Amino acid sequence: MNIILVLIPLSLILLAAGIWAFFWGVNHAQFDDLDTPALIPLADDPPAVAARREGDVPP
Amino acid sequence: MSRTCFHCGEAIPRGVELGARVNGTTQPVCCIGCQAAAEWIATLGLGDYYRLRNMPAERAVEAADYSAWDRPQLQRLYVHNSADGSAEVCVLVEGLRCAACSWLIDRALRDLSGVRAVEVNPGARRVRIVWTRDDITLSAILHRLAQLGYVPHPCNAQALDALDQREARTALKRLVVAGLGMMQAMMYAVTLYAGAFEGIDPSTRDFFRWIGLLVTTPVVVYAAQPFFAGAWRELRARSLGMDTTIALAIALIYLASLYETVTGGAEVYFDSASMFVFLLLGGRYLEMRARRRAADVVDALARLQPALALRRRTDGALETVGVHELEAGDVVVVAEGAAMPADGTLLGKACEVDESLLTGESTPRTRRRGEALIAGSVVRSGPVEMRVAHVGADTVLSSIVRLIERAQSERPHAAVLGDRIAARFVGGVLALTALTAAAWFYVDPSRTFAASLAVLVVACPCAFALSVPVTYLRAASALARIGVLMPKSDALEKLARVDRVVFDKTGTLTRDRLELVGVEVAAGRSINECLRIAAALEFGSTHPFAAAIREAVSTERSIPEAESLRTVAGAGIEGRIAGQRYRIGRADFALALSAGTTDDDNVVVLADERGSLAHLRVRETLREEAAAAIAALREQGLEVAMLSGDSDARARGIAVRLDITDFRARATPEAKLHALERWRQGGSVVAMVGDGINDAPVLAGADIAIALGGGTQLAQSSADLVLASDRLDAIPAARLLALTTLRVLRQNLYWAVAYNFAGIPLAAFGLVPPWLAAIGMSASSLFVVLNSLRIAPPSCSAERVQASAPPLAGAVPA
Repeated sequence: MNIILVLIPLSLILLAAGIWAFFWGVNHAQFDDLDTPALIPLADDPPAVAARREGDVPP
Repeated sequence: MSRTCFHCGEAIPRGVELGARVNGTTQPVCCIGCQAAAEWIATLGLGDYYRLRNMPAERAVEAADYSAWDRPQLQRLYVHNSADGSAEVCVLVEGLRCAACSWLIDRALRDLSGVRAVEVNPGARRVRIVWTRDDITLSAILHRLAQLGYVPHPCNAQALDALDQREARTALKRLVVAGLGMMQAMMYAVTLYAGAFEGIDPSTRDFFRWIGLLVTTPVVVYAAQPFFAGAWRELRARSLGMDTTIALAIALIYLASLYETVTGGAEVYFDSASMFVFLLLGGRYLEMRARRRAADVVDALARLQPALALRRRTDGALETVGVHELEAGDVVVVAEGAAMPADGTLLGKACEVDESLLTGESTPRTRRRGEALIAGSVVRSGPVEMRVAHVGADTVLSSIVRLIERAQSERPHAAVLGDRIAARFVGGVLALTALTAAAWFYVDPSRTFAASLAVLVVACPCAFALSVPVTYLRAASALARIGVLMPKSDALEKLARVDRVVFDKTGTLTRDRLELVGVEVAAGRSINECLRIAAALEFGSTHPFAAAIREAVSTERSIPEAESLRTVAGAGIEGRIAGQRYRIGRADFALALSAGTTDDDNVVVLADERGSLAHLRVRETLREEAAAAIAALREQGLEVAMLSGDSDARARGIAVRLDITDFRARATPEAKLHALERWRQGGSVVAMVGDGINDAPVLAGADIAIALGGGTQLAQSSADLVLASDRLDAIPAARLLALTTLRVLRQNLYWAVAYNFAGIPLAAFGLVPPWLAAIGMSASSLFVVLNSLRIAPPSCSAERVQASAPPLAGAVPA
């Protein structure tokens, strides 16, 4: 059972790392807007990209 | 090297990288409050204050100097003055979180002499203050507000954004810390419970308890901070609120568990403590999101107004100035695609402006030289030069924003009552907790702690205090989304009781323009030819009939040029096309060139010297959504009636087209009021819909007055509801929404009361363990919030009607 003396502190370190990473994300605007990013892939490609893709397709 | 704050002189904490732009250079500041204060002072042109002062300012968060608010430059932007010597301001308040806060602010400010009215809306975090200018200064009021620990901000969009972002981020962090902490604490708790049944050696048990203490401490110290801050504020103001009970419960659980851990006692409750914090934070997070959504509409309007303007100096050169520096009489240039900085008149040639966010009308409107331009409308063809007439709080846009803000910060009667009950309730709960503790101490001392804790947690009247504000806030935002503003907060209750809707005719059911419905031509003439001649004659006319003709003649048909046009007022127009004399207008005028006559109000005759060429039949244009709106109201079981000041024939024509049997023509405003009075005496609850050119008194005589957004400000100020979208089909939708809202409100209140009354006795008799009480209490708050989210705008009825409406010009046979 002595293994828990290692594993539990290890889990706590991981927990602290997780919280630190989350705080970093919040401070870097990763959670400010949860709605718009989901829609970005649905928007039309910008014209330049769209034109190149059309060129790739054989007539 | 330690840096000091430019504004307050305190050391800047590590990791804070804030800067304030003052006189062109960026200065380090210690907090957002100082940053706002410093930049604010700088934008008012008072940056010299920092050179001239001989001691640093107070830290802005504690007690900033609010005397700047008394300066006319600032007041002009945010303060609305009334003729009777009173003034009105709306401030955004930091740290305003719950119904108890609003109660505290309300009390503290009302005690000041000279303050006439205080309306606090915890949902939108706005405080509306009406005060007498001669008795007290605005700065004194705001200073009192700051002393309470609430930092007031000017109500503009920029301050709102920074505040919103910071609050949302902190709330999310606290929620996640509490959530992760709770999960860990639960896992250790499971081990301890298992150990209690299966046997566990004391050293392992103590190890898990210490680990549990380790993960719960950040939850209590960091995540639960808002509750402790709130409780401290309530204690300082010597008023009891919800935060007091919550903070007391958290502190009790945590400290008792800490004591047990250190002394190796019987039981620890770290899982209960962290779960309690997490569930409460979850409820508050949801509430915050709901109220941010509601505030969005106001923000959108506030953001319409640009911050900078291009002003033409007397020497002709252009300079960029802040909008608040503009004064009436200034000449500003607005680029294409930009928004008007102020109300004014157009100086250049005609231009097109988009006023859709103000009126809901999506097609650009043409403005000619000398016509009024509204702040916030967007220039579609530019650049445009205009002379400023009104700035800041006097603009039309500001008055609309104020209308919405009043709707949001005027608390409905039910909410005021709810607060008062909640505050008294908390006192009772604390007494009951003490009683429970005393009773159990004599019966069974080992259960004293658990039972009194359960009472404290179960009895927290969170759900009760949340139910009214959350429901109303949600309703107001749903209404705003279908284009209905609610200047009076009791409007919803009245709207739900309405059983008769009375419409004004002109401008409400109809638009103030005519449409061409039929052309009868003399033998040997074509419709196209006659229309072309008519269009040529009416070319420069502003009469509604001319607009109807122009709309009917599509652009491909070439319009001949008419010469020597002569307008005879009230009769018609005479002109010469290709040498031939024509007349168009009333029958007796047009046919005077030849002979014969007809008498019909709605027929316009086109004639030449030999006789009538064509009879053009016109009628008033109905609002395209009017018929659908009336049908929808009937479907809901309401009576529909129409009052008109117009002639009997015209009123009957409209009534037949809309299938209204109950109508009154040739009604003066007094007659309209009388009609309303009779309906009301007959037991009806009457809603009056009008656009208000002369409807304002009639609107005031109805149980509930609904004004169209395109109508006059006078009508809107006396209205209970304003249809900002200018669409009648918002009325049936709004009524459905009102019915839903009242139903949800009733459910919420019943639920909250039933929960508290059922829970308290159970808890007092020791039948509810603290963790179950925490779940129950948070669940009841969540139930209230989620139930309120059910109030949503009816599914896009506006778009559906718009799509099925026939195109306007299509009614003309060609």
